[in-house]
This record gives sequence, C-alpha cells and structure tokens, in this order.
Amino acid sequence: MKRLLVVALLLLTAVVPARAQDSLAAIKQKGVLTVGVKNDYRPWGFLDPSGKIVGLEIDLASEVADRLGVKLEMIPVTAANRMEFLRQGRIDLIIATLGDTADRRKVIGMVEPNYYAGATNVLALKSSRLKSWTDLKDRKVCAVQGAYYNRRVSQLYGPKMVVFPAVPDALNALSAGNCVAFLFDNTLIVSTLTSGDPKWAGYEMPLVSEDPQLWAIGIRLEDVDGPFGKFMTQISTEWLKTGHIIALERKWGIAPSPYLLEQQKKLSTP
Amino acid sequence: MTARPLAVLLPPRPEPTAPRLLAQTWLLAALVLALCAGTAWAQAVAQQTGRPGALAIMLRWAPLITSGFLLNVMVSVLAMALGTLLGLPLGLSLIARTRPLRLLGWGMTQFFRNVPWLVLLFYIMFLLPFELHLGGLVLPVPAWFKAVIGLALPVSANVAEIVRGGMQSIPEPQWSAADSLAFTRWQTISRIILPQALRRMLPPWMNLYAILTMATTLISVIGIQDGLTLTRAAIAAESRPELMVPMYIFLLLLFFAYCYPIARLTLALERRVQVRI
Repeated sequence: MKRLLVVALLLLTAVVPARAQDSLAAIKQKGVLTVGVKNDYRPWGFLDPSGKIVGLEIDLASEVADRLGVKLEMIPVTAANRMEFLRQGRIDLIIATLGDTADRRKVIGMVEPNYYAGATNVLALKSSRLKSWTDLKDRKVCAVQGAYYNRRVSQLYGPKMVVFPAVPDALNALSAGNCVAFLFDNTLIVSTLTSGDPKWAGYEMPLVSEDPQLWAIGIRLEDVDGPFGKFMTQISTEWLKTGHIIALERKWGIAPSPYLLEQQKKLSTP
Repeated sequence: MTARPLAVLLPPRPEPTAPRLLAQTWLLAALVLALCAGTAWAQAVAQQTGRPGALAIMLRWAPLITSGFLLNVMVSVLAMALGTLLGLPLGLSLIARTRPLRLLGWGMTQFFRNVPWLVLLFYIMFLLPFELHLGGLVLPVPAWFKAVIGLALPVSANVAEIVRGGMQSIPEPQWSAADSLAFTRWQTISRIILPQALRRMLPPWMNLYAILTMATTLISVIGIQDGLTLTRAAIAAESRPELMVPMYIFLLLLFFAYCYPIARLTLALERRVQVRI
C-alpha cells in the first residue's frame, strides 16, 4: 500500500506537460478548438442573458472552428491572464481585443496580417471644448484598466488618469462628471455616439485620433512558423481580402475602420 | 470522560433588546429600499429614453447572476471543507510536544495567515497545470478547483488558529486530571479536550466561513465566471451605466441573504457556549 502511494506520488510529480509539437494536428485530434475571448467588451465579445458569449470576435472564432471542422470552446479571458493561458496550453488562440505590441511579441506569436486596428481618442462633453491632446494636461481623464493606450497618453500629455475595471464604470463616471473625458478606442467612441442614445447627445469625439494600434490573433510562439500559424495567416488574409470583417462591423454596429478598407484595397490589387 | 458543564464563569449575553431588533429591521429595510430606489431611478432614466425598463432587464439577467452566485457558494463550501480538513491536524501540530513538528506547523500557519488571499489565488492559478497527465490519462484541473485550493490554504491556517485557541481555552486542570488518570496524550486530546473545545470552536469557525463566502468574489479577478464576473459582464452587455447600481445591489443582497443568517446563528451559538463554560 505504501509503495503504491509512493509510486502515485512520483507519477504526480513527474508530470510533464506532454504537448504535441503541431497544434493543428492536436486540435483536430481533440476535436475542439479552445479560444480565449472577452465577455465584457461589447460589441466584440459580450454576454447575452442566457449566459452565451456573442460578438464580432466570437463570430471570427466560430469561423475558425468551422473551417477546422471541430467544436468551439470559448474561455473568457482578461488582459491579465490571456497570454498565460495561451502559454500553458489552456487555450489555443487569443481573439480578445489583443493589441499587437513589441513586448507581447516576445511572449506569444501574433497572426499576420492583423485582423483589426484601432486608434486612440476621447469621448467628452461638447461644452468642455477640448481642442488638442495637450488640453488634457492635469485634468481628470477616465480610462479602462489594462488598455494599451493608457500609458502612452499619460506619459505624453500628463492627464490625471482615473482608471476603472470596465467600460460601463468609466462611462458612468464620465456622465456623472467625475472626469472631463473618457480615453477609449476611436471606433467604439463613434459607435457610442451614433447609437442614437440621447444620453450621449451632448458629447463628441473632439481630438484627432492618434497612435494607430494593430490588433492581432494570438498563438503560441512555436506555432508561428508551424502549420497552425500558416493556417491562421491564410484565414486572416482571406477575411481582410473579402471584406468579411467589414461586414461583421456592420452587423455589430461598429463604425467602419479605415484600416480594414485600406487593407482590402491593398490585398485585392496585386 | 464526558464533558461535565463547569461552573458558570461569565454572565450570559443578554437577549436582543427591542432597540437592537429594530436596528436589524432597519438595516434590512434600508438594503431593500436601496435596491428599489436604484431600480426605480434606472427605470426613470429608461423611460426618458424610451427603452426597455430597468426592472425587465434586471429580471432577464437575474437567473444568470444567481447561477454565478451559486458557484461562489459552491467554492466557499468546498474551500471550507478542505480548509477544515487541513486545518485540524495543522492546529493540533501547534500544540505538539515534538519541537520540529510544532515549528513546522507554526511556520505554515504564520505564512498562510499573513499573505494576501488574492496573491495566493494568483499563485495557485498559474502554478497548477490546467490538466494532469497521469500515464495516458488526462485529468483536467478546472479553474474553480484551483480557486478552491487557493482559498483552502489561508482557511486552513485560520482554522488551525481556531483549533489551537479552542483547545488552549480548556482549563489546565482538565489536562492534569487526564494525566493523573493515565490517559495518553492522544487520548486526552481526542476524548477530553477536543470534544469540549469543539463547541467553543464552532462560532469562530462559522465566522470564518461567512468571511470566506464574501471573499470568494476574489475569484472573479482570476477569470472565473462567478457572481461578480457575471454581474460585470451583464452591465457591460447592456451598456447602460445607470443599471450599474441596481445590478451590484442585487448581487450584494444575494450575499447578504446568505451570510446574515450565518452571522445570526453564530451569535446564538456563542450565547449558548458562554453559558456552558
């Protein structure tokens, strides 16, 4: 009995994460594609009341699964844990508003061409008369935790950043007058302004959008040059070329992104 | 052998007086009122803008948020069970006569009692693999299970202190009497001291459970779909900032409804234990 216990313990400690070299084959063998997605970022990935995750990025994820002929499993991730989950092998893909930065490229692989690009702007009351980014100096600016543009803006323009865990909290603070502007992604600001909600009637996007930031689908570093990376590149190219993501933007009420139009033009004229 | 009640040393806690009962009623009323007021306000805002009412939206999301809350309850129950299972021997080690054992128990207790729960959770989350390979067998390790382990560790250290305190609160003559009757150390602990101490350990143990239950919302930070995560996701999905207050109050009331009876029961038990000293 004791010997059995020792053997069991040895087995437990000697566990080596036996990951197949080729993720594509592994996914097909499992029959499941596991994707890390957002569930609190409307309209990219959010919950419906039945608990199902829906949104633009969810459409993309299910398309990848369909092409592979496997089932889709979605795991809600946050900015803090998504890269770790990918490295651990808990998820196979990140499609979760992931900004493509040099720092992150050291840790995970980014699928090229990038499927989306945003830029930074602010949502503010028309009456606060913001003219340029430098007007933000020493004034309170609401922002969302973990957004890539927070650091750059606070270093360049020196606003007093008030950071919230999620978008609704920050919007709430803005409409309560706790800050002069809300620092956010420009396409989502446009969507908010054009949503027809009278609450935002007195608001505008006053500045010139800055710092275009590419978004990427994240894969493990060792997959970048493997079959899985090639497969994802092929899908991503196709999405951009056929205007698939532009159509999805329309479906989910997102303002058209100049990046997508430009890419489509570039890819369809060889 | 059985624990005879000793002389009453402390006066019994007075029964709740009318003002206290009144205060409790007020507290409850204030909470419910806050929910109603928040909902009514959101409803008013909704009516101005001619969109579905806040009440309808709350009702739509209530089942999902409640299911998330039930996950919190499940995690709390499992973490408490595991923590108690580990904490009992740990507490006994604190009064062990062998010095190395005592030191080991002391070290573990101090460590797990004095590190932030959230940091421990993060640690366990990333330390444990998401699946175990045992030979050809692949055992998945779900995130909630990791959360249970992460919370059980600090719980076990706190239980250990409760066990130690409870046993040391038993008057010294009980030990010497057992000694003079030639009970072994183990017999003394298991048959004389523990049975008496258990009754005194129960109230602080339940207190710890109530605290643990409220602390389970920490697991939302490590990406588990608990009540808090789902409430946030619901708020994000509606993109209606005015719903934030009523939604959070709804979740708060769920926790309150669960924890408040435990607190009441703890007080009642404390009163009984005190009389029986």
